[in-house]
Amino acid sequence: MKKLGIFILDLKEYITLAVLIVISLVLIFLNDNPQIRFLRAAAITSFGTVQSGISAIPNVFEMEKENKELREDNIKLANEISSLKESKLENIRLSRLLNFKEKIIPGVISGKIINKSLLQTRNTITLNVGENDSVAINMPVITDDGLVGRIVSTSRNYSIAQIIYNKDMRITVKVQRNRLDGILSYDGVSNLMVNNIQKSADVNVGDVIITSEYSNIYPPGIPVGTVSETGNLDNLFKKVVVTPLVNFLTLEEIFVLKFVSSKERSELEKAFQKK
Amino acid sequence: MTVKYIKYLAIIVVLILVQKTLIWLISLSSLNITPDLVLIAVVYISISEGKIFGSITGFIAGLTIDLISGSFLGLMALSYSITGFVAGVFFTEGDKNLSKINFLVIIFLCSIVSNLVYYVIYFQGLALNFFEIFSKYILTTSTYTTIVSIVYIIFPGKKALKEGY
Repeated sequence: MKKLGIFILDLKEYITLAVLIVISLVLIFLNDNPQIRFLRAAAITSFGTVQSGISAIPNVFEMEKENKELREDNIKLANEISSLKESKLENIRLSRLLNFKEKIIPGVISGKIINKSLLQTRNTITLNVGENDSVAINMPVITDDGLVGRIVSTSRNYSIAQIIYNKDMRITVKVQRNRLDGILSYDGVSNLMVNNIQKSADVNVGDVIITSEYSNIYPPGIPVGTVSETGNLDNLFKKVVVTPLVNFLTLEEIFVLKFVSSKERSELEKAFQKK
Repeated sequence: MTVKYIKYLAIIVVLILVQKTLIWLISLSSLNITPDLVLIAVVYISISEGKIFGSITGFIAGLTIDLISGSFLGLMALSYSITGFVAGVFFTEGDKNLSKINFLVIIFLCSIVSNLVYYVIYFQGLALNFFEIFSKYILTTSTYTTIVSIVYIIFPGKKALKEGY
């Protein structure tokens, strides 16, 4: 205690000065003029800087709690983003389809693929539309990109469509550029081929293949694919490989065209062939 | 002893009155640069009595000026308290620092300190930079105050006369 007294006595000059300075500063800060407002602002800024520095010292327990909350928020937000992305993509796809539906074809039934097989020789897709939606056998199935296939089986609420990657499919097609006719089929392995194209025919890579008016199932002019490879098949015919315009791997929404083949035409053609 | 304090008080009071009423007669330039007569007295008292007495005298003198002028309460008190303390550092037995050149140098130094504290706070928030404040106000006022304090040397007191000043 005595030492403390001596210590204070040694510092009495400085303590006096400090007290006087404090009193002066208190008096100064009682003023309300521009200088003091500026000084107050400077003091607050300085204090804020110091406080900010102190608050930067990590509180381990608080940080752990905050980390946990942030992780939870992160998971929630990630789920939300994923859901929003999905909605956005669906929106884009549906907008394109809607636009296509309004622009081109009246009398279509829109549906979703609920099952599909792509690795077999006879590939099909199952649709969530059926007889109740006016879906009938042999109706063409398309997207805004091009031809998908045709309906081969129906129930009240579902239907099955044969896609162009099916060995049983035969589609009369033509080269859009020069109207050259041919028959599109699936080789059962990986390629779509246009058959019956003469060796001398003018077919180039990039040519667009469309459905022909000779078909009794598909309306003419539906894009099917583009020529991706040409070569000689044998001495008479050309090998023409076609890449479809529709991406079957990502296909989700389709349209069933209310296009029913003409019975009169079919019967006439059958009767003529029997003769 | 009491007489001495009364004398100090009287000197301070008189100089404050002169400072606040007649000093404009010797002001220089459009910036109204004036000598700080009260500061001379505070420095004198501090050198004679030491840091504590000097700072308290400075505080009282400054506060009185603040109250009279009514503009920036506490600023002159702060400035003179620090000045009194700084001047008190030069307190020595035998008042060696009250002699001629030493006193002038101390006056100049203390005046710089006093004006530095005063003007730096006074001009806060204005478009003047430190160099302008220092050259236009601090240095000029300090120089003027030092020049005026030569009067103390020209007219030495009884003590100095007795000692063959």
